[in-house]
Amino acid sequence: MRRKATAIGAAFAALAVLCAMFATTASAAPAWKFENKSLEGSEVILGAAIDSSLTIPGLTTKCANFLYKVTIKNEAGTGKGEVTELPLYECTTDQPEVCTVKSIGAEKLPWPAKLTTVSASNYIIIEGVKVAIKYAGIECALGGVTVNVTGTAGGIVDNATETATFNETTFGATKTELKALATKIQWTGLFPTEAFQWHREQPLSVS
Amino acid sequence: MHKHRRGAVCSALVIAALAALGLAASAQAKLVGEFTKFAQCPYTNAKAIKCIYSVTEKGEVILGSKKVPIEKPVTLQGAYAEPVEEKEEAEFYPFLAATNGITLSKAPQNVPGGLLGIIPEASQPALVKALIKFFFENSLTGVNSTLELAKPASEIRVSENNLAGEIGTALQMPVKVHLENPFLGKNCFVGSSSSPITWKLTTGTTNPPAPNKPITGSGGEGELLEKARILKLNNNKLVDNAWSAPKAAGCGGIISFLVDPIINSQLGTTTAGHNSAELKGTLYEASAFTVNKVNNENP
Repeated sequence: MRRKATAIGAAFAALAVLCAMFATTASAAPAWKFENKSLEGSEVILGAAIDSSLTIPGLTTKCANFLYKVTIKNEAGTGKGEVTELPLYECTTDQPEVCTVKSIGAEKLPWPAKLTTVSASNYIIIEGVKVAIKYAGIECALGGVTVNVTGTAGGIVDNATETATFNETTFGATKTELKALATKIQWTGLFPTEAFQWHREQPLSVS
Repeated sequence: MHKHRRGAVCSALVIAALAALGLAASAQAKLVGEFTKFAQCPYTNAKAIKCIYSVTEKGEVILGSKKVPIEKPVTLQGAYAEPVEEKEEAEFYPFLAATNGITLSKAPQNVPGGLLGIIPEASQPALVKALIKFFFENSLTGVNSTLELAKPASEIRVSENNLAGEIGTALQMPVKVHLENPFLGKNCFVGSSSSPITWKLTTGTTNPPAPNKPITGSGGEGELLEKARILKLNNNKLVDNAWSAPKAAGCGGIISFLVDPIINSQLGTTTAGHNSAELKGTLYEASAFTVNKVNNENP
């Protein structure tokens, strides 16, 4: 009889641990807010990256104009969204005498996005990223090759500056990665998050 | 007078010899750094676009029921020219042979089981049994398998985009397998120039006929060297398990009519779906223009 009670107690304890683990995961889901009120319906964020670069070991590519359009909404209290446009212009490499960027473009848009919390910080995760880059240059080892950048990108959201920052640390924290030529690459960028539709000039936050 | 003239002639010869040496030295340009890998690339050929140097360091070739691990490095080197055809929505480039003629290096790989592995003792004709006994008694039982090009290097095709994009055929190569052992003679081959084994190697996933199942290769981890003028793909993996192979032929010299059937029965079925090639290694690429430029810049 006592043995049965012990077994039931152990089962409840295990269930409690599982519930606690699940609760931790479930709580890691912040929402989009404007003026501290949860976004209802959807909103469009438009912007231009302040500074962004992509590095395949041995070659860094930068775009002077890195624009983006993201549609955001909350679903069951969790911030979601999708990147719908990502025009890239005036792209160059850090070896301009060897490699130039012949063409660069986002593919398979829209890319789904979601908010998550890791160690008390809020992050935006962009999935299904695909950017095709074609390099040129008679001396460029990648001349004529289409390099596909694919994967998932995680960036930290800063409510104070209303920006999202992507770098090696944020990729590590969110366990995300982008690959090109089957190699993990580095993508760094600072992206302002400003509403452009119903909530213009209203401070956007994530919590 | 006579002595003077002789002295002048000698001096002139010495000067001429020194001048010739000087000219030879200045003409002897060289490749430096990582570019030395492209020493056998035909970079002065106007048709050459990119130089390629690929070393298969490990992997395996399965021919029917026989598996041969790749333990000795095999090098593929040369260049590729302007694309000539379009297949699978990718550009295919024809190959230009290495300048020293060794486009695909001949690296004999040990066949596990040796002679006994491909010609078992049981129920063989008396002549074969007697010959096998002789080779065993003289410790000549090791068998090597060497991969060779079955056709000229110009029959090789490369698709750079498929190689990097891990889709479709990246490297198409007509090959033959040379089985080597004193008993087998010098002309024991699986595949020939008229009936080659055609590998359509991919860095993506294969779609072989049964009983083989899809296997996946890898473009490898890319890295740019020498100020983005050399692309290095580490841990590159090229695979194909949809190829077929003809029967072994020419084995055993004058008694090949007896030996060929024995080897073929030991290899088993070698039709598509029963063979496989997995080549793992490192690949280097650079534009032929760059290699030529580096060569000219370093006298």
